[in-house]
Formats: sequence, structure tokens, C-alpha cells
Amino acid sequence: MTQHTKHHSGSLFQGLVIFVLLAFLTAVEFFIAITNASVLLISIAALLKIGLVVYYYMHVYKLLEDDDEHDHHSYAWKLATNRLGLWLFLLSDAFVFGGMFVARFNLLGFTRPHLNQELGLIVTSALLVSSFFMNRGETQMAQGDRKGFLISTSITFVLGLAFLLGVVFVEWPEAIHEGLTVDGSAAGGIFFLMTGMHAFHVLTGLIFLLIILRNGLRGLYSAEKHWAVEAAAVYWHFVDVVWIFYYPALYLIGKAL
Amino acid sequence: MTPTSTGNFTRALTFFAIGTVVGLALGILLHSLTSGGFDAATYFTDIPSWMLGFLLGTLGFFYGLLGYFGVVRGLVFQVIGTLAGIFLVSAIRAAMGLPFFDGRNFGFHEGAWVFGALVGAVAFLAGVGALTDWWKWALGEETHDHHEDIPGWRKYFGVSLDHKVIGIQYTITSLLLLSVGGLFALIFRTELAQSGLDIISLNFYNTLMSLHGIVMIVSILVGIAGVINYLVPLLIGASDMAFPRLNAFSFWVAVPAAVILLASLGLGGFDTGWTGYAPLATRAPIGIQMFYLGVWVAGWSSILGALNLVATVLRMRAKGMTAFRMPILVWASLATSIISLTATQLIGLSFQMSMFERLFGMPFFNVAKGGNPILFQHLFWFYSHPAVYVFVLPGLGVISELLPVFARKPLFGYKWVALSSIGIALVGFLVWAHHMFTSGMNEYLRVPFMYSTLLVAVPTGVKFFSWVATLWKGKIETPTPMLFVLGGIVVFLLGGLTGPPNATVSTDLHLHDTYFIVGHFHDTMFGGYIFPFFAAIYYWFPKATGKRLNETLGKWHFWLMTPSFIILTLYMMRVGLLGMRRRIADYDPMLGFDFSHLIMTIAAFGIALSVLVMFYNMYKTLKSGELATGNIWNSRSPEWQVPSPMPAHNYEKPFEVVGEPYDYGLPGSTYVKM
Repeated sequence: MTQHTKHHSGSLFQGLVIFVLLAFLTAVEFFIAITNASVLLISIAALLKIGLVVYYYMHVYKLLEDDDEHDHHSYAWKLATNRLGLWLFLLSDAFVFGGMFVARFNLLGFTRPHLNQELGLIVTSALLVSSFFMNRGETQMAQGDRKGFLISTSITFVLGLAFLLGVVFVEWPEAIHEGLTVDGSAAGGIFFLMTGMHAFHVLTGLIFLLIILRNGLRGLYSAEKHWAVEAAAVYWHFVDVVWIFYYPALYLIGKAL
Repeated sequence: MTPTSTGNFTRALTFFAIGTVVGLALGILLHSLTSGGFDAATYFTDIPSWMLGFLLGTLGFFYGLLGYFGVVRGLVFQVIGTLAGIFLVSAIRAAMGLPFFDGRNFGFHEGAWVFGALVGAVAFLAGVGALTDWWKWALGEETHDHHEDIPGWRKYFGVSLDHKVIGIQYTITSLLLLSVGGLFALIFRTELAQSGLDIISLNFYNTLMSLHGIVMIVSILVGIAGVINYLVPLLIGASDMAFPRLNAFSFWVAVPAAVILLASLGLGGFDTGWTGYAPLATRAPIGIQMFYLGVWVAGWSSILGALNLVATVLRMRAKGMTAFRMPILVWASLATSIISLTATQLIGLSFQMSMFERLFGMPFFNVAKGGNPILFQHLFWFYSHPAVYVFVLPGLGVISELLPVFARKPLFGYKWVALSSIGIALVGFLVWAHHMFTSGMNEYLRVPFMYSTLLVAVPTGVKFFSWVATLWKGKIETPTPMLFVLGGIVVFLLGGLTGPPNATVSTDLHLHDTYFIVGHFHDTMFGGYIFPFFAAIYYWFPKATGKRLNETLGKWHFWLMTPSFIILTLYMMRVGLLGMRRRIADYDPMLGFDFSHLIMTIAAFGIALSVLVMFYNMYKTLKSGELATGNIWNSRSPEWQVPSPMPAHNYEKPFEVVGEPYDYGLPGSTYVKM
């Protein structure tokens, strides 16, 4: 059984390989954007990144795992049901972000607001690295390494906080300074709506991380029973997936206004 | 807090005193801060401070007297939370050098009202106790798996985790909202009885018309949630829903949402219709914000309820209940929930964007700043069209569920009917822009949306074919539930046949802004929801209470409502074809519609009277009704194989599905083995 679980949660090495691929694809995206700016190629790179995160970090395949458990009070049954519930929630949430994504193209077409590219790349990287540490923390918990879990999750928290503060207290003032205001144009409106709603989700993710850190410190999680850790991780990766869409949509695709 | 025989009143008076003193002190503090100094002379003569004190005192009184009812705690918390939110935003504004009070907007800035209402909704949930267990989980504490309710009727007024209690809570809330929405309709219907503006003002007419729409929509959403919550776990043999706490949350979040919606009446109303289109909405009174926020909060009820249902159906079916042995109502609930779970987010987003346009000036829908008002309509209708399938699919499921019982014959084409619900749900995602043929959207979108809309007739036709074939040569019995089923089929057919002219671009351009649409829409809503909902109430009332509703009164209800309703909508369509525009408060007497409108108004009162008959029937039956504990309809469904009312933990032992669900009249066939 333990062997089984380990196999399905992935290994630390696997997490590292996926992170290297994600970082490479992000660099490719950025490179395409500053050279020929092909929407198709940027989209392919983004979709590849999403596929990697959803499969290897969020373990979407666990939804399809055989489950012979019929006792509705057992941990195994509850775990599988909770997983389904969480994914249904993410599906629902994805429609909000999808709606804003569509609204952005409806309003701006293939033009984009003028934004600080270096800053965009830095905050994006911070979130991507945080996803790596989140995956590492979850894997360590699944292997029973509580100390490792606490360290990795703390790093995730710090990087997530850096992303949030970077967007709200550096990127936003700079955009306003450059003339992209909340009420000046539809471009400003949709930029602040998309980044704001995403930042709100990052904030809720950070609260979730604080909860699992606190309860992890008190020793409430074990290698076998750590649903809250898994849920926080999957949610955190979901917030990253949203940004994998939003980063090219706001910073890379289209002609800068 | 527990009820005591003598202590309640003392407690109420104590809380009244505390509330008054705190309110007065807070008022005087606010007064001193905003007027720039502490003035001893106006210390005890400041009327607003006394009003605040009296408000908090009254809340304290009710809290002390009836605080052991969850819902009273919730409402008291909601008012206090709203005030706290308003004061917080106003205080931040004051700290930024802006005025604390805003005389044009009912005393406070619009942002303060919106934030206050949001805090109020959260406070309601905290007060009623819907968040308690999750708070404990976050702190790493254990909660009990088995939740025991207080015996008796008090459990309906507080948080319960039992899906049957929650189902009844939903249904009662739905009937309350139905009455409120119906009352609004009666008021403006009376106004329309003759030309000329006689009894209400233009803005009040518009507000009532808009609120009628949205209150009825919330009533329907809550009503289907009631039917689904009560029945689906029983039909699939589950002990409860997959996530009982989420289930309770889904119900209780709808209550503050309804309060916020109705609060729009006190904040200037809104004159936009329930669609809340920008740019009109950006100029509407502040009540529009309560409308937007109310719908946004109610959306969470819908989304989370749907999530729970999907998980329940996928994870908790009885042994042997494969996909094609699920009752049709379960299929229909699943189809409905797929829409609610996903599309609801888009109406939330469209309303949120419109709220933000008003609050922060984000010009999403302002053409002068690069926005696009058509975008609002796309986002809005992406939910609001599929929403009508959310409303009717469970109703059509109830029709398919009850027809075989009363025709004593197998359901014709079970598999096709099962899949038709999913078919309607999926096609329903691709038809939204047929609401926008006259809106000025890109013309190339018209024809594809016309064809996709007409395509909905195919799975709907499958259902009609099945119903007619099921009735064919059946031994038809017609107790009250069956009457409502048959009435529902006829009325839904009227609604269905009047649909294609609206879906076809060439005719819709003429019909779009007329009463023809109003008649068509009400036919689909009554046929697809109201009739089956009443059928379900008459059919499952004995299951929930152990008492059977009076047949004579039931027949009075049916035979009063059905002709009234058909006359109402036929006249609507008639005046619509002759050029009566919808949504307007008055019409030119020269059009010659006065008599038709008078008939419609009388018919509307006929419907209202028939619903009162049902309420009286419920009251009378609960008080002194005929006991009905057995399988009174001779049904094959598992919930009727155990005595009524349903035991607290449903089935003592899990049952097993061994046959087809609707093989009525076939000798030797069994569906469930208990």
C-alpha cells in the first residue's frame, strides 16, 4: 500500500524534472514574445506547461484511480470523495477565470497593455518556483518527512507572498504610473480585474498554507493521512495554472498599446 | 443558547438595554468624530444616535428572546455585520479625507453599502452556525460524523446536516419566495389592468417587475434544490449527501442572499429588469447593487449545491445501480447540476464587473473608454439561458418519474429519456446569443445560434414522445399529483411550440420586445417547473410528513390554477402579437388592450387564489390530515418501500438494485431488493 501511494504521488526527482521543463517553457514563451510574437507558439508553450502542472503536480489521474471502498465512513472513501469535490470546485472556478480571459480578448483583441516585462517575468518565476516547492512539500509529507514538508511549504509561502506583494505593491503602482489606470480605459479595467481576482485567489491560497503549516507544526498530518496538505497543494497549483494562462494573455500576446 | 420557560424574557430585556446603550454610545461617538468635536450640549438630543441605539436594542431583544433559533441569530448577525461593514468603509473614507456620510445614497457611500451587505451575508452564516465545523477543521479539531437533530419542528430553524431537513428548509424557503414574487406580480398586474398609471409610480413598477423576475428565479433555484436534496439520496440509496456541511452551507447562504435582494426595495430599487444590462445599470439607483450582490451570493448556493449533487451521484449510489438503472430524476438532477456548477460563475462575473464599473469606474461596458456593452450580455446569457434548463430539467424529470406510476406502464424509451436531459444541458451551453438577435451583436453569429437553439427541440421532443407513448393504452389514474403532471405536459407543450418563432431570427426581430415572449416564457416555466413542483409536493408530502394532502382541495387547486394560467398566457401572446411591448408600466388606450389586460389580471388573481388553497391544504393536513404511512401510490421506488415519514437515517440496511426502475405492470419484475 505504501509503495502504491509513493508511486502515485510522484518523487522528489520527478518534481525537479517537471520544474526544469516548466522553467524552460517559460523562457521559450518569453523568447517567442520578444522575437516573432507568434500567438500559436506561445499558446502551445502555455498549454504544455498547463498539461505538466495538471498531470504531475496536481495528480489529476488520481480521480480515475480504482476505488473499491464502499464504507462511507472509511478514510479511503472520504479521501476519494473529497478529491472529486475539490476538482469540481476547481472546474467551477475555472469558468470565472475563463470568463475574464474571454472578456480580455473581446475588449482588447490582439493588443495588450504596456507593462514592465522584467517585472512580469520575475513575479511569474516566483509563482512557478513556489509551485515546485509546494510539490516538494506534498511529496515529503507523503514520504513521512514532516520537517522537510514544513521547510518546503514555508518557502512556498514566502514565494507566494512575494508574488502577491510584487503584483499589488510594485506592478500595480508602476502600471498606474505608466498611465494604465483602473478607470481610464477598458484595458486598465480588465488588467486590474484579472490580476486582482488572481491575487485574491493567491491570498486565499496563502491562508490555506498558513493553516497547514500551523497544523503540520502540531503534528496533525502523517504519511497516510494528509488530505488537507494535498488539497492546499492542488489549490495552489490551480492558482499557478491560472497564471500560466494569464501571464501570456496580459504580457506576451498581441501588440503592445 | 437554550429556551427556558422564564429566563428568555429577562434575557431579552437585558440584551435590549445593552444594545441600546452600545448603539447610543456608538452614535454619539460617530457624531463627535464627524462633526469634528465632542459637544456635550447635543449629547442626549441626537436623534440618529437614538435610532441606532433603538435598532441595536431591538436586535438584542430578539436575540435574547429567540436566539436559540439559528435563523434569528443569523438575521441579527446579518444586520450587525452590515452596519459594521458600512461603518468600516465610511471610517476608511473619513480617514482619507472623504465625507463619512453621503446624503444622496441613503446616508452612506455606495461602496459602504456594498461592503456592508457582503459582511452581513458572512455574518449571517457565522451567526446561524454554518461555518462552525469548518472553523474547527481549520484549527485541526475533530467534529462528529453523526449529527443528531433536535426532535420536533425546531430543527427546521437552525443548521441541520440531514439532507431531508435541508430539503424541507429549501422547499419552505422556495414557497415563501414564490409568494413574495407572486405578490409583486399581482401589484403590477393590477396596475396594468387598465391603461393609465393609477396606483404605483414608474420607478416602483420597474423595481417590482425586476424583483418579480429575480425573486422567482431564486425561488425556483431554491425549489429545485429542495426537490433534489430531499429525493436524490433516497432514490440512490445514500444515507446523506456527499458533503453534509457544504449542503447546509448551500442552503443557508441563500437566506442572506434573499434578504439582500429584497433590501434593494429600500435603497431606491432598480429599473433595469432582472437582466441588469449595462449601460442602463450604471445609471440605476443604488438598489441595483443589492440586486447584483444578492444574485452573486445566491449563486454560491447554486454552485455548491450542484457540486455536492454531482459528487453524491457519482460516489454514493446503491449496489447494482449502474448509470442506466438510475431514476430519471437523478439523471435530470445531474444534468441540471452540470450547468449550475459551471455556468453560474459567468452571471456572477458579469454582475461583478458591472458592480466594479459602478464602484471603481472600471469601464468594461463604457464605449467611450474602449468598453463593450455587448460583452455584458454575452457573459450574462452564457448562464442565464442555460439557467432555464436548470429550472425545467428537474421538473421534466419529475414528470418522467411519476407518469409510469400513474399510467401503470414502463417508461417508454428509458435510455433516450435519460440521455435527453444531458443532451439538453450540453446543447444549452451553445444557444445563449439567441437572446441577443436584436442587441446589435455581430450579424454572423445570428444564424449559428438560431440553428443551435432549434436543436434543443430534438432532445425535448424525445421527452414528449416518451410521455405520450407511456400514456398510450395505460391504466391511467388521476389523483392530484398526476393531474399536475398532465397539466405540466400540456402547458410545457404550449411553451415549447411558441419557442421556435423566437429562435428564428426573422420572426424574433418582430417578437423580441413584445408580450409574446412573456407568454412563451411563463408557459415554459410553469410547464417545466411550477406544475411538476406542485406534483412533487402532492406526491412526496406523505413521504416527508406521514400525512396525505387533501384530494378535494388538491383538485380545487389544480382546476382553478390551470385554466387561469392558460388564459393568462394565451392573452399575453395575443396582445404581444398585436404589438404590446413588454416591461412597460403603461400602454396607449387606443391600442385596445384594456380588456385583454383586465382578463389577464383576473386570471393572475385566480392563480394566486389557487396557491392559497394549497397553503391552506398543507396547514389543514398537518393539523388533522389523513395518515398515510405506507406505499400509497403503489410505487416501485425504494423510498416507498419503507414506512413514512422517512426514518432519520434513511434505510436501515443498504438496498440492492436488481432490475429496471420503471417496469410497471410487468409481472415478476423487481427493481430493488430491500
